[in-house]
Amino acid sequence: MKTRSIKIGFVGAVSALALSTGMAFAGEVVWWTPNFNEARARELVAKFQETHPDITVNLQVTTTDGLPQRVLTALQSGAAPDIIDVQHGWVNGYAQNNLVIPLDDVLQDREDYVPAALDYVTLNDQLWGMPYRIESLAVIYNKGHFAEAGLDPEAPPQTWDELIAAAEALTQSGRSGFAITGGGEVGNTIFRSMPFMWMNGGGIISEDGTQVLVNSPETVAAVEFYTNFYKNGLSPSSTLENDGTANRRLFIAETVSMYQAGQFDVNSIKTENPNIDIGVMTIPHPEGKDTAAVLGGWSFVIPADAKNPDEAKILLGFLAEAENQGYLTDTFPARVSAMDMERFDDPILQVYKQMLPFGRPAPAHPNWVQISQAYFDGIQRILLGDEDVQTAMDGAAAEIEALL
Amino acid sequence: MAPPPKSKPCSKPFLPVSGCLKRSRSPFLLRPVNVMHRKSTGYLFVLPALLVLGLLIAYPIAYTGLLSVTDNQGNYVGLENFRTILAARATPTAFFNTLWWVAGSIIFQVILGVLTAILLNQNFRGRAIVRSVTLIPWVVPGIVAATTWAWMLHTEFGIINYMLTAPGIIDEPVGWLTNGSTVMPVMIAINVWKMFPFVAIMVLAGLQSIPNDLYEAARIDGASFWEEVWYVMLPQVRPVIIAVTLLLVIWALNHITIIYAITRGGPANRTLITPIQIFRTAFESVQFNQAAALSVMFFAVAITVVFIYIRTTAANAGASK
Repeated sequence: MKTRSIKIGFVGAVSALALSTGMAFAGEVVWWTPNFNEARARELVAKFQETHPDITVNLQVTTTDGLPQRVLTALQSGAAPDIIDVQHGWVNGYAQNNLVIPLDDVLQDREDYVPAALDYVTLNDQLWGMPYRIESLAVIYNKGHFAEAGLDPEAPPQTWDELIAAAEALTQSGRSGFAITGGGEVGNTIFRSMPFMWMNGGGIISEDGTQVLVNSPETVAAVEFYTNFYKNGLSPSSTLENDGTANRRLFIAETVSMYQAGQFDVNSIKTENPNIDIGVMTIPHPEGKDTAAVLGGWSFVIPADAKNPDEAKILLGFLAEAENQGYLTDTFPARVSAMDMERFDDPILQVYKQMLPFGRPAPAHPNWVQISQAYFDGIQRILLGDEDVQTAMDGAAAEIEALL
Repeated sequence: MAPPPKSKPCSKPFLPVSGCLKRSRSPFLLRPVNVMHRKSTGYLFVLPALLVLGLLIAYPIAYTGLLSVTDNQGNYVGLENFRTILAARATPTAFFNTLWWVAGSIIFQVILGVLTAILLNQNFRGRAIVRSVTLIPWVVPGIVAATTWAWMLHTEFGIINYMLTAPGIIDEPVGWLTNGSTVMPVMIAINVWKMFPFVAIMVLAGLQSIPNDLYEAARIDGASFWEEVWYVMLPQVRPVIIAVTLLLVIWALNHITIIYAITRGGPANRTLITPIQIFRTAFESVQFNQAAALSVMFFAVAITVVFIYIRTTAANAGASK
């Protein structure tokens, strides 16, 4: 009897303690946002508090380096913030493990959102994240090099054949026409080569994650197209050690004339080598087919363990307003109506804007890391000259088959 | 502010309640000699250390063993994880790369280290400076060294290719890290560069403890310098070389930093060694059970190698005396 009452007392004390830490933050919304958002997020918070004086927003700044691990730890620890900014691709994993809550009641104007962004964060017909920022790659090129090679800088290549022809013309006097990636983090090469497969009707795995497509004729043709830039000497000899950043450095050094990059690269090229006349083109596609790109960007999630999910939803509703979303994003907003804002009118951004409707979500599969690694190893075997394209992709397919 | 707790006399002196000062005479105090001689007392004193060792070594090893035979839900799956990881295309590649990496590293580390030690054991001007400079590769943090080498070896920007192409020694820059046949030798060279000072300093210490009489005796017999090296120095530092080699083998088997920082095991797994495969499986693919299975097998192989090495070298050392 006595021990029992002691036990009850103990449990009571612990729960009182737990309750007190929860109580201390009543009405407070803790929002984790990456450092590149900080200044604009603070402005929005100030604006929000004018109309919602009863809710305090505690903004905490994160860094992208190591963020996936940090978010996952927070989500599993039971001591999570109320709102977290995460990349679209991570949301699916959180949703599968019920680490975040559905946001269907917060996101009102679905039809105003870019569909691919919503697809990313949808699982079992429920929305598990609220996309606010989207972006894709395009091809950046050096207009000066085009003119020197006798190409029209204002009429960049549209199709695969035209891209190859342009790259051949540009590859002269120590320059490489079109730089592909073949090294660094796996993601660099996935983001740059997968769209070519999609344009051609292929892919690494099918959208529902049940079929291996990596050795289908469409995919093999796309991989051959991609890797031939290196095999035929149109991509730098350092391709196997180059990631997106290395290609940007080579472009800035004017030894590369075209490469795939996001819109951030435009600014760093402008600062580091103002002499380059930068052009941007949509990613060339096979004759008679559409272009494609991997859609990237950021969403908000509310953790299942959030202390104040109701207040968090009020803040998300505010951030989802077109005007605020357009203000917060570093690249483009997920809402089509926010895209009309003046800041997205910069002519150099227009091509990036045109790419967005062709953006697709990367496949969401629990073993995606290993699947993409198996594919990437295959790409490197081709670039090294160990295997031809079909053999390498057959090898990758066998490995991926075991992972599905 | 609550007053600090005082040790108060016990109301019931024979009840072992913590927080009160016992007035009863401890039986220990009456017979101190017996207590100190009792075996259990000794165990009591090493208990804290044993607990720490147990927590830090035995528990992780046991837990790895447990992980290797369960799935990520904790269900027992027998040898399933072993089968999966052995079937992976990268596993045999990584195994042979590891052999190549360990053998290549050890041979050159030991040879270069011993030669350096013999050189540094000679009398010449500025010896102290040369000795200190030799240590630099070893004291540079691994990640710093690896990143610097990666830059130096880059095909386009690297200073090594620049130094070779500028005076016309070679026409085309060499893709040191992208050419399938150069990348592993380059990794081994970096590892040799990083670790040979350690061998040198250990062997040098051994050389300095050789009594001068041995050299005098050898010289009286008309030994040349190389005969001195072969018949005096090497036999005398043999135990040092054996111990150092063992350490080098263990370190090479465990190695991650240099290769991971430079190539991550690429291109196309040319530099993938088993420790990196374990790391990638666990922390990039989040397949802890398969990584544990691979660790268990790797542990078995490593312990066998070390065991055979100790047995043969110990036997040889006994025979030569």
